[in-house]
Amino acid sequence: MPLFVAGLSHRNAPVALREQLAVEEDKLRELLHDLQASDVLREVVVLSTCNRVEVYGVAEAPGEARALAFRHLCRHRGIDLATVEPMLYTHLEADAVRHAFRVSSSLDSMMIGEPQILGQVKDAFALAQACEVVGPHLHPLFSQAFNVAKRVRTETEIARHAVSVSFAAVELAKKIFDGLGGRAVLLVGAGKMSELAAKHLVEQGAYPIYVANRTWARAQELARALSGTAVPWDELPTALASVDIVVTSTGATEPVVTRGMVTRVMHGRRGRPLFFIDIAVPRDVEAGVDGLDDVYRYDIDDLKQVVDANLRERAREAQRAETLVEREVAKFLARQGDVEVIPTIVSLRERLEEIRQGEVRKTLARLPDASPETRAAIDALSTAMVNKILHAPITKLRESSRAGSSRSWLELVHELFGLGRRP
Amino acid sequence: MHATLINAAVIGYIAATGLALAYLVQRHDLVHRLSVLAALAGWAVHTVALIVRSLELGGPPLRSLPEAISVAVWVIVLLQVLLEQRTGVRVLGAFVMPIVVMLSLKATSARPGALTPALAGAWVWVHIALAMVGIAAFVFNFAGAIMYLLQERQLKTKRPGAFYYRLPSLETLDRLTFRTLALGFPFLTTGLVLGLLWARAAWGSTFTFDPLAFFSFLAWVVYAGTLAGRAIAGWHGRRAAYFSIVGFAALVLTLGAGLFLPGRHGS
Repeated sequence: MPLFVAGLSHRNAPVALREQLAVEEDKLRELLHDLQASDVLREVVVLSTCNRVEVYGVAEAPGEARALAFRHLCRHRGIDLATVEPMLYTHLEADAVRHAFRVSSSLDSMMIGEPQILGQVKDAFALAQACEVVGPHLHPLFSQAFNVAKRVRTETEIARHAVSVSFAAVELAKKIFDGLGGRAVLLVGAGKMSELAAKHLVEQGAYPIYVANRTWARAQELARALSGTAVPWDELPTALASVDIVVTSTGATEPVVTRGMVTRVMHGRRGRPLFFIDIAVPRDVEAGVDGLDDVYRYDIDDLKQVVDANLRERAREAQRAETLVEREVAKFLARQGDVEVIPTIVSLRERLEEIRQGEVRKTLARLPDASPETRAAIDALSTAMVNKILHAPITKLRESSRAGSSRSWLELVHELFGLGRRP
Repeated sequence: MHATLINAAVIGYIAATGLALAYLVQRHDLVHRLSVLAALAGWAVHTVALIVRSLELGGPPLRSLPEAISVAVWVIVLLQVLLEQRTGVRVLGAFVMPIVVMLSLKATSARPGALTPALAGAWVWVHIALAMVGIAAFVFNFAGAIMYLLQERQLKTKRPGAFYYRLPSLETLDRLTFRTLALGFPFLTTGLVLGLLWARAAWGSTFTFDPLAFFSFLAWVVYAGTLAGRAIAGWHGRRAAYFSIVGFAALVLTLGAGLFLPGRHGS
C-alpha cells in the first residue's frame, strides 16, 4: 500500500494562498474523520502551518486520495481546487519518507533549523492519533521522523547560531563573558529593540538591569517592566563604570557614549571587558572605542554581518544534516520493507511446511516397518527440500522490498503458491 | 623494547593531532571521539614504555633530557584529556597535541648519550620532575594564550569565522592562561632552585654558564614578570597572552639548548 505526501509549501505557493488554506484544529478533526470515512485513505495525517499544508497518507490510489483531501480543504475555505491543483507536489514511498524526515528536521523550512516545525508536526500527528486515523504505516514513519529530527538537532548545528540581531548580540556576549549570570546591563534609551535585547539578556541570567533615558518617566517605566533600576541621564558615565553590557538605542543625532568617556571608565575596571550593543541609527557609541582594549562594540550593521555569518554556518551544517537524513531514509526503508514482506514469508513457510508434513505422514503410513533412522531420514530430506525451494523466493522478496518494488512480487508469490488474497 | 613502545605512542599522538585538527575544521563528534581515543591509546602505550624504562634503569626514567621530555609529554597528554573533559573546551586538543608531537619527536630524535655521572641521585630527579610539570603547565598556558588572541581578533574585527564558533569565551581563555601560569610557576621556580643547589653541591659553583640553565632562567624571568603584572598591575587578556608566548619561546629555547648544545645537562 503506497505511502504518499501531497501538499504545498512556501517553496511554491504564495503566502496569500497558504494562509487561506491553513486549517484550525476543530476543522482538522472533522477533515480527518471525513477522509477516513471515504475509504480512499487507510491512514492520514494533515499538517497545517503558515508555511505548508500537507497531507500524509496511505492509499491504494494516491492521486485519488490527494484530490479528495484537497477538495475537502478547498471547499472548507471556498477556494477553487483548480487554483490550488497546479501548485501541489506529490511524493511517493521513499520520497515521501525523505520529505517527512526533512520537514520534521526543519531542513525544508523557510528559515533552516527553526525549532517550531517539529512541534507542529508532533501536534499534527497527535491529532491524527486522537482521531484514530494512523496505523501501521504512518505510526512508524512519524516516530522515526521525530527521532531523525532530534538527531539532526543534536548532531549538527543547524539550529545553533542566532539568526536574529538580538540573539546574535546575546551570543556575542557569551563569547566575551563566561556566562551571562550576574552580568550588569545598562540600557541607554528606551526603545522597543533595546527592550527586546534586554529581555534576552535577562533570560540568560543577566542582572541587575539599569535604564538611562533622557525622559525620566520613560526610564522608570522601562526599569519597572524589566525589574531594573532607573538611572538619571547625567549619571551615565558613572553607570558605565559598573556594568558589563551596554545596549544603546536613543534617537540622538550625536553619539551619547564617546571614546573619552569610555577611556576614563576602562581605567578603573581592571580589565573587565565592556560590551556595547549599539542598535541605534545614527549610532550612539563612537566607533573610536574599537581601538580600546577590552572594549567590544557592535553596531546594527556589525550584528547583521554576524547574522549573515551564522546563516552561512547553518547552511554548511544543513549539508551534513541532509547526509544524515539520507542514511536514515535508507535504514527506515530497509526496516519497513522487511516488515511488509514478513507476513508473506511466514505464510509461505507455513504453507510449504503444511504440505511437507502431510506428505511425510502419508508416506510413513505406507511404510509401517520403517526403522526410526529411515523415518528421520525422510523427515530430514523433505525439510531440506522445502528450505532449498524457499531460499530463492524469500531472498527475492527481501531484495525487492529493499528496492521498493515488493508489491508485484508479493502478488506473484501469493498467486503462485495459493496463499490467498494478500492482507 | 622501550624504543618500539615509544614509537608506537608517538604514532598514536600523531593520529590524535591529525584528528584534533580535523575536528577544528569539520565539527564531527565522531572525529573528536577518535582523537581522544588515539591520544589515550598512545598514552597507555607510553605509560607501559615509561614503566619498562624504569625497570631497566632501576629508577625513574629521568636520566637524560630526552627522557625527561618524554615524561613531560606523558603529563601533558593526561592533562589535555582531563582538561577537555572538565572544561568542555573540546578544541583544546587541536592546540596542545601539535606541541605534544613536536616535543615527542624531539625526545625520540635526540638519542640519549652517555649519562652525566653528576646527573644521579634523588635531588636531581626531583629537580627534573618539578621542571617537567612546570613545562607541562606552560604548554597549556601557551595554548590558552594562542586561543585568546584568535578569539579576541575575531571579536574585534567583527567577522566571525571558524574560531569564533569553535573557541570558548575570552574570559574562559584568560582564566585558563592565568591558572596554568599560577600552577606552572611554583613548579618551575622550585625546580630551578633545586638545580642551583645541586650545581653548587656537584660542581662547587652555583652560577657557571650552562645554555639550558641560561634560557630556563630567562623563561623564569618572563613568567615571573607576567605573574607579577597580572597580580599587581592587573595585566590580563592580550598583553598577558603576548608574554605567555614569549615565555614559552624561552622554554622552547631551553629545551633546544639542552638537547643540541653542550653543557651540564648533557647531550
